[in-house]
Amino acid sequence: MSELDTYREKARAFLTSMAPKYAREARVGNTVEQDLALGREYMAAKYDAGFGGINWPVEMGGQGLTHLHKITFDAEEMQFGMPNVFFGISLGMPVPIIMHYCEDKAWVKERVIKALRGEEIWCQLFSEPSGGSDLAALRTRVEPDGNGWKMNGQKIWTSWAQYCDYGVIVTRSDPTVEKHKGLTYFWIDMKAKGVDVRPIKLAGGDSHVNEVFFDDVRLEDSQRLGAVGGGFGVALHTLMIERYIATDSGGFGPHLDEFVKLAKDTEINGKPAIEDGRIRSQIARNHAMRGGLDSITKRAFAMMMAGMQPGPEGSLQKLVAVRSRQKLSELAMDMKGNESLAFDPHAYVKTDWGASWLNAPTGRIAGGSDEVLLNTIAEKILGLPQDHRPDKGVPFNAIPA
Amino acid sequence: MSILYDEGQQAIATESRRVLDARMDKGRLLKLLEQVGEHDQPFWDTAVEQGWTALAIPEEHGGLGLGLIELGLVAQACGAATSGAPFLTGGYGVSQGLIQGSDAALAAEWLPKLAAGETTGCVAFAEGNAALPPVAGVTFADGKLSGTKPAVAGGLKADVALVWADAAGQPALVLADLSGATRTAVDSYDNTRLYADLAFAGTAATVVALGDAARKLALDVMARMAVVTAHEQVGGAEALLYIARDYAVTRKAFGQPIGAFQSIKHRIAEMYGLVEIARANCIHAAAQEGTDEFLLAAADARISATEAYDTNSRDCVQIHGGIGVTWEMGLHLHMRRARSLAVECGNLLFWEDVLVNELTGEKA
Repeated sequence: MSELDTYREKARAFLTSMAPKYAREARVGNTVEQDLALGREYMAAKYDAGFGGINWPVEMGGQGLTHLHKITFDAEEMQFGMPNVFFGISLGMPVPIIMHYCEDKAWVKERVIKALRGEEIWCQLFSEPSGGSDLAALRTRVEPDGNGWKMNGQKIWTSWAQYCDYGVIVTRSDPTVEKHKGLTYFWIDMKAKGVDVRPIKLAGGDSHVNEVFFDDVRLEDSQRLGAVGGGFGVALHTLMIERYIATDSGGFGPHLDEFVKLAKDTEINGKPAIEDGRIRSQIARNHAMRGGLDSITKRAFAMMMAGMQPGPEGSLQKLVAVRSRQKLSELAMDMKGNESLAFDPHAYVKTDWGASWLNAPTGRIAGGSDEVLLNTIAEKILGLPQDHRPDKGVPFNAIPA
Repeated sequence: MSILYDEGQQAIATESRRVLDARMDKGRLLKLLEQVGEHDQPFWDTAVEQGWTALAIPEEHGGLGLGLIELGLVAQACGAATSGAPFLTGGYGVSQGLIQGSDAALAAEWLPKLAAGETTGCVAFAEGNAALPPVAGVTFADGKLSGTKPAVAGGLKADVALVWADAAGQPALVLADLSGATRTAVDSYDNTRLYADLAFAGTAATVVALGDAARKLALDVMARMAVVTAHEQVGGAEALLYIARDYAVTRKAFGQPIGAFQSIKHRIAEMYGLVEIARANCIHAAAQEGTDEFLLAAADARISATEAYDTNSRDCVQIHGGIGVTWEMGLHLHMRRARSLAVECGNLLFWEDVLVNELTGEKA
């Protein structure tokens, strides 16, 4: 057995021991707050068992193992539905960024350990009403204020901000230069004076994203990450950190087995739906598509194990998986007919077709919309030209609003 | 089997691509489209000279003892070049029938000739619109075949055929020497495939497998040919992706390269996605050769590769506009090949059913 297989078994044993209290089935009917409290407990237990910060340096409070160990653990953990959703962004991007850019290492180490144990949560304040896909169009501004800075403006779609202690943020420090060049990056205290977090209720009924308003918020210059005017580079670095995260060819919706089960239990024209050609065709097409995505993942993993850089085809995962989950969810609801009209807003998206359908659009927009992902594939992988950009080379304050 | 190509496999991929790039000629292929009953002999000479016919045949029978992974890589290069003869896949199907069949002497007689490229083979399973009819209309009795197989790829010139037949109520796979059959050429949209109706009237044939073993072997032969074909389809789909890309970065309209318009660049990005998903399925399927997972993996590969090649030929032509539909531009070589490969060795409808049968245990 390879060392990674041994590690996988160890991970599974730990997760199995945690399951009775923390796994999805143990938390049915919980409120978000109850889940968050359980999540904090679970993260602490995970840290104490040596599974926190798996691929982070030991001197920062991590385990000093490889990225492969991390995705091995994540792939196992994903199957249990642990209450870790609140910590995904925190540990995925902001905390690694402060490890990289912050100079006060003792302070950083304290933050890292508290974040790993679920005691503190970090958010990422990038998107704004005037710029989601077009990140560099952001308008939240900072001005020099004595030996520090003063911040005013608004962010939006900030996941879990209502529960966060800290955040990382990109701001405009100079509106007189091109939009990418006038940005500066900071960490902020979410409990500071002038920070106002307002949850946004989404179409599916939950409120995990927020608007965050800043009214004369004071920032020390020691909170700056990277150079003044270097914020766009730090933002790109943030987005590049987790390129090979655990993926799900089901688009984070139900497994194809769930669809097959439904097709076996449902009748169309007096015959099992599984015998209906329309249903069979979709099962086959989805299986072939998901099989391809799974093979891409396996190959990326094998390449990393061999010390090679995985190919760019990994960038297809979210694009292909989530939009096909959306369509398959519609077909599953059609198959159930009027029985699909009953809806439970708290149902689990991986087992309930209605919940999967209603929440799928979020997956196609968050973390790079389908259109932005297609642009990235076209430009970065295939070498196609950029779109026409009328704001290119124009100072930010001269771009027509 | 590893899902990462080793150095030898990478060399096969590079070398087969290099040889075909140097020797294939679009003008020659275009002429052949209008000639019924002709294939591209320079391609076939190359295949034999390069040892591609011997690749997947065991060493004890004069082959190189390699497998589906290597043959798949060669097929991918052939697909990119819209290669001009169907014998590579057909010969592989026949050789697999012989290797796994019950007659060792028959295998010992034909495999060395197939490996050397002296003998060419084709596979005649389909009848009517069925890729593998439950009960074949072609019958086998007393060592003789009777009946007709329609539009067999390679049938016009192949020396031997592996035939799906009915032997007094039980399925049979038999090997027929085609010198004893009547061949009628089919004038097709893809004529280098050498489609012919094969009429058997007391044609001598030898049993390769009988009963359930024949049914099982026939499906395995089809799955193996489907994986080879899927590689060929991926090669074609990938070629079209880059033809489209190259055109989109050079052709200008409204003052900019057309590839700067999202309607074009997104279409090309989608073409890339289809190629990579199909390629990943092909790599996986080839590595599953001989395992219980093979049939399902082969169906995945076949379905995604058919979708990729059909879609990419449609979209590559669309991206080119008017020039794309001209005879001389030759994109229709791919368009024709995408369709002929989609229909040969089991169409999408057939493989969708195979996949769902295998996955769920439920038949339509």
